[in-house]
Amino acid sequence: MTAREIVPGVFSVGAIDWDRRLFDELIPLPQGTSYNAYLVKGEEKTALIDTVDPAKEYELISNLCRMGIERIDYVVINHAEQDHAGSLPMILEFFPDAVIVTNEKCKDLLIALLHVPAEKFRVIRDREKISLGKRTLQFIITPWTHWPETQLTFLEEDRILFPCDLFGSHIATSDLFMSDERTTYVAAKRYYAEIMMPFRTSIRGYVGTVRGLNPAIIAPSHGPLYKNPSFILDAYADWTSDTVKNEVVLPYVSMHGSTLKMVDYFTDALIARGIAVKPFNLSKTDTGELAMAMVDAATVVIATPTVLFGPHPLVVYATYLANLLRPKVRYASVIGSYGWGGKASETVVKMLDHVKVEVLEPVMVRGLSDETALRGLDRLADEILKKHQELNLV
Amino acid sequence: MATYMCMICGHIYDPSAGEPVQGIKAGTAFDQLADTWSCPVCSAEKRLFQKA
Repeated sequence: MTAREIVPGVFSVGAIDWDRRLFDELIPLPQGTSYNAYLVKGEEKTALIDTVDPAKEYELISNLCRMGIERIDYVVINHAEQDHAGSLPMILEFFPDAVIVTNEKCKDLLIALLHVPAEKFRVIRDREKISLGKRTLQFIITPWTHWPETQLTFLEEDRILFPCDLFGSHIATSDLFMSDERTTYVAAKRYYAEIMMPFRTSIRGYVGTVRGLNPAIIAPSHGPLYKNPSFILDAYADWTSDTVKNEVVLPYVSMHGSTLKMVDYFTDALIARGIAVKPFNLSKTDTGELAMAMVDAATVVIATPTVLFGPHPLVVYATYLANLLRPKVRYASVIGSYGWGGKASETVVKMLDHVKVEVLEPVMVRGLSDETALRGLDRLADEILKKHQELNLV
Repeated sequence: MATYMCMICGHIYDPSAGEPVQGIKAGTAFDQLADTWSCPVCSAEKRLFQKA
């Protein structure tokens, strides 16, 4: 990618990864991604804010070379993860006089993850400022806006916020700024679900902190920049709030059709009661789509057949992920079938120990559901409706 | 005594068990933990715990 000017003297110098389709060997990237790094030129000093994934380190270096950058005084690292800090060793090779500017926790992590020499750092505290000459960088330490060492950098004079991963989206696009609100909203929500949702409680407080800075531009480390910061700040305020929607997310697996019959019946039963339902066949589901659906649903019902004596392994995988991502769902239940016994529903419920949910009585049926078994699903749908009514969602 | 959940990693502080790894004795209420106490699993600050 070629370097691009954001405002005079401030440039986007990172790389677009058009081809990448998987992150952390876990998260699908249907639209690729970008690793945004920024160069800020003051009258006296030049700062690089974050770097790129090491797979793209030569692109970063070539952008800087083509711009004729001969000296970098500071490399600000907002987050120690390798897709942003991973090209730091190469930057230090090309710009050996550069000083790394970051907080104490991030310094420790960078030394552990990248073996960066300890004497290269200037450690900053919360709200500390560094002058570049007519341009000032302010650092706001915001632990658990992804990792324990995460921080934000604010360029005061131009009112540009560099929050690294926070507010980002996995989109490879040639647009520097967001051009299509709907596409960006969905990608940013998906990104929030996959990366930020476990830290909802912590992030919620920092949305106000960011509003207080009154940024003119938000420049995250993945995806396009926002010229209208309230677009993404309002979205984050909504996603991190305790407000849930009249929705049931229904991840399921069926091997021979018995569980599928229950899922189909239950889906219709919820629709008939005016409850939105999102079934996901786990053998075909993109986990990012599933995570995104859990951002604001009030209830999750997991549907599983019984494999030997427990839940289907795909259900175990999805339940484990949900427990890690810790969505704000209020109610959970399990439905499914078995042939000769087993403890599928108990195992699934036990796995949800990190999510604060009320468990509604599971409906487990032997073999193919008959009329009596289907009445059990009606009862569960009625109970969900009652719970959603109590929350004033219906 | 109430148990508290870490809002970052989901670890539960159970006063009846204390935190043996951190030398916190069984029977120590959450309120009695120092303000500088942090989660034994993920190191999140005490303020990031909520009643379970």
